[in-house]
Amino acid sequence: MMSVRQALLILLAALVPAGLSALVHPHRPPWSEETLAPGEEKLKTVLTWGSAVLWVDARSQLEYEAEHVPGSLLLNLEAWDSLFPRFLDQWSPGRKIVVYCSSRSCEMSHEVAARLEQNGISPVYVLKGGWEEWKAARTAN
Amino acid sequence: MLFRGQDTSLFRMGVGFRCGRTGRFLMRLVLGGLFVFAGTAKIYDPATFAIELERYELLPWKICAAAADYIPWVEFLAGLCLFLKSFERGALLLITLMLSVFTLALASALVRGLNIDCGCFGHTFVSTGTILPILRNLVLLLLAGILWIKYR
Repeated sequence: MMSVRQALLILLAALVPAGLSALVHPHRPPWSEETLAPGEEKLKTVLTWGSAVLWVDARSQLEYEAEHVPGSLLLNLEAWDSLFPRFLDQWSPGRKIVVYCSSRSCEMSHEVAARLEQNGISPVYVLKGGWEEWKAARTAN
Repeated sequence: MLFRGQDTSLFRMGVGFRCGRTGRFLMRLVLGGLFVFAGTAKIYDPATFAIELERYELLPWKICAAAADYIPWVEFLAGLCLFLKSFERGALLLITLMLSVFTLALASALVRGLNIDCGCFGHTFVSTGTILPILRNLVLLLLAGILWIKYR
């Protein structure tokens, strides 16, 4: 019981700095809406860009062939050398690139976006929620 | 061969478990030190930690945001209190509980095939995946278990 009492005291003590952090920390997470990671963009925003966007699908070839965002190009790290030249054929400087992968938890879109930026391509954004978000929005409409 | 009066307890027989005050201090140093470090790394940027939590797809955003403000401070204080005689057991209880919950969350991400980073140390380490953090947590749980046994 002594351990439980001590643990509760620690939990209570942590409430004070945590509360202050929630109120004044410069990097505190917002409560009202989800935070965007660096380079991420919401689907709602991307859709306002219209045809100025070049969609890049960072998933596997199998997933891409099953379904993808209309007009999107397949570009993943596994087949980068063969797919990147095809991407360059479609890309024009200044055109917004939006990379997506399967869901909000996948990292592949961030990795492909970073690789594109290393190759001097910009601006590059990552779609928050990925393909799942796109599909959900399409189903809702 | 065992002799009369010889202690057959696992914890006395194995060299690995024969740890006196120094061994116990070292185990507390590893456990407590890691928790202080993990807490500090996340206290610096709770917004990023909230995003990492959300990627586990287990909790709604508002809970992730609240947890991102709170959990790092619990980790930090629990790690620190492991060195204070009057709070040692409570801190160990919290550390054991947190390690268990974190390991279950990582295992669930692994089973669901989520390609995420652990988020255990903020952005101090990147691309750790889930398997290595699970193994590390199991080792830490073992240390916590040994400390519990030593308290009995």
